Amino acid sequence: MTAAIEIRGVSKRFGSHLALDNIHLDVRPGELLALLGPSGSGKTSLLRIIAGLEAPDAGQVLFGAEDAAQRRAGEREVGFVFQHYALFRHMTVFENVAFGLRVVPRARRLPRAVIAERVTRLLEMVQLAWLADRMPAQLSGGQRQRVALARALAIEPRVLLLDEPFGALDAKVRKELRRWLRALHEDVKLTSVFVTHDQDEALELADRVVVMSAGRIEQIGGPGEVYTAPASAFVHEFLGDTNRLDCRIEGGRVVLTDGALLGRADAPDGTAVAYVRPHELDVAATREGAAVIRHASTFGPLVRLIVGFGESSLDVAMPVERWVRLGLAVDDRVSLTARYGAVFTRPGQPAVLLRPCIPMNGLRAVPGALGA
Amino acid sequence: MSHALGRPHLVIPGFRLSLGLTTGTLAVLVLLPLAAMIAIGLANGVPAFVAALADRRVMAAFRVTIGAALVAAVVSAAFGLLLAWVLTRYRFPGRRIIDAAVDLPFALPTAVAGIALTALYAPNGWVGGLLAPFGIKVAFTPLGIVVALVFVGLPFVVRAVQPVLEDLPAHEEEAAHLLGATPAQTFRRVILPAMAPALVTGFTMAFARGLGEYGSVIFIAGNKPMLSEIVPLLIVIQLDQYNYTGAAAIGTLMLLASFVLLLAINRLQAWAGGR
Repeated sequence: MTAAIEIRGVSKRFGSHLALDNIHLDVRPGELLALLGPSGSGKTSLLRIIAGLEAPDAGQVLFGAEDAAQRRAGEREVGFVFQHYALFRHMTVFENVAFGLRVVPRARRLPRAVIAERVTRLLEMVQLAWLADRMPAQLSGGQRQRVALARALAIEPRVLLLDEPFGALDAKVRKELRRWLRALHEDVKLTSVFVTHDQDEALELADRVVVMSAGRIEQIGGPGEVYTAPASAFVHEFLGDTNRLDCRIEGGRVVLTDGALLGRADAPDGTAVAYVRPHELDVAATREGAAVIRHASTFGPLVRLIVGFGESSLDVAMPVERWVRLGLAVDDRVSLTARYGAVFTRPGQPAVLLRPCIPMNGLRAVPGALGA
Repeated sequence: MSHALGRPHLVIPGFRLSLGLTTGTLAVLVLLPLAAMIAIGLANGVPAFVAALADRRVMAAFRVTIGAALVAAVVSAAFGLLLAWVLTRYRFPGRRIIDAAVDLPFALPTAVAGIALTALYAPNGWVGGLLAPFGIKVAFTPLGIVVALVFVGLPFVVRAVQPVLEDLPAHEEEAAHLLGATPAQTFRRVILPAMAPALVTGFTMAFARGLGEYGSVIFIAGNKPMLSEIVPLLIVIQLDQYNYTGAAAIGTLMLLASFVLLLAINRLQAWAGGR
């Protein structure tokens, strides 16, 4: 299967800042691909280069087998949705959507009636036909973004590019629009690339996720894959909440800097960094435990704890039922056990699985165990 | 206490005081002199008023003044738009200096500008000398009046359009581009409509200023009766001859003509904006 878009060795520099560093990426036909990363990671630059709004300093963008550099941005047949909608403010919703059809050279332009029919169909698809005569300023953010989407789809693009499409919307609308876009994608199966800094958005919406950092691709994989098998410490840290613990590997044992034993990992001896997500930490009431509950807050079905441990504080999350059963309160002393975790021995290397000491409650049997 | 509840809270207190000051100032500074002018113009009765105006020289001056002001406002609008565009969209050395220089015609005594322009555009001047071989005369013709009025009118357009252009997000242009619009289509369908209200405002101000401009015009115009004589100069000539009634009559008609034209532009703008 040939790629819909092939990015070969693309680099881009803005002044002294290297925005993209030798990027290679295939976008598969019909997939919904997320470019995920913090701001400044180069994801928007990459999207703009695919669209032709920026030219790469080095490398190629291929559409099918054809070098896109041969085409101006307007001839690439890409639909682009901007974060702040970029609707034409002096045109009605209808005219905004019709714009791409009206600017076609006369010889190839569709007849008026056909344009009107297609625009109406698109507005029905985005459920805004009743707002066709309104001006953009009279619409809500979510409605504007759907108009922007209809406008981008009107030219029947080969690929759809979305730059932080939900970034300017409030949380509830964002979630609705996200579901709606996913359903739309299932219907249309248009090759789409969207940029986001929100890991929930990327993991929920995308077929594949490209995690970017500092102009490089850290990992490409399915949403489950990047979360459970992060290729680097950066990916682990960026996707979801986590606790970072500096440690040493000593003969397969993961020992924290203060001597407490965290667990076991099949890794060579030396310094390492272990990450344990809040829900992977268990607390148990222990009168002589070295950890202490500093704060507890209920957050929907979860209770989130901040547990003080030596100099550091760790985030712990558990279901409300479990918290109630434990019968703990703030200032109670506890011991901590890591059920899982990810141990990174060198930067840019995949994780080694952190296993609990066996038996599970044996942690406290080991002298200097975490929190005991 | 309870009366205060229904009132909106305003930053500037005292509606009556504010309104009184506003209308009072307006009356003393604007309405009173204008009323005096109309009164003096009509002092010798309506027939004398009409007679003062029903003169071919006066009518020709009106044609020249309004015609030159309109042409100059159109030229100012076109060049002012271009200048504002360059100042907002490009970064180049000396941009700030050019940006500041745009305001100079506001500050420069218009007589100085008039003399300088005359020196440049006279048949033996730097620019006039280049144009003379082609049979183009600028100084001492209506074209000279237009040049002087563009000089004073240009900053109005630039300063009206510039902030709107700065606010116009580049994303709208990019969106048009990605939807397949050519640069010309993007300009005509996206940029120009967004700027039209500001452009019309700048045009109106340049036009209004052109109608009343005196200092810069009289030097370059040559002031040939029936050809390049402007209404404000005619008024001064009448005053020199102690014909206050005639001067006031011409002034009154000028006021009326300006008011009607500006009102028309205003209505046009409101109509275009409401569409």
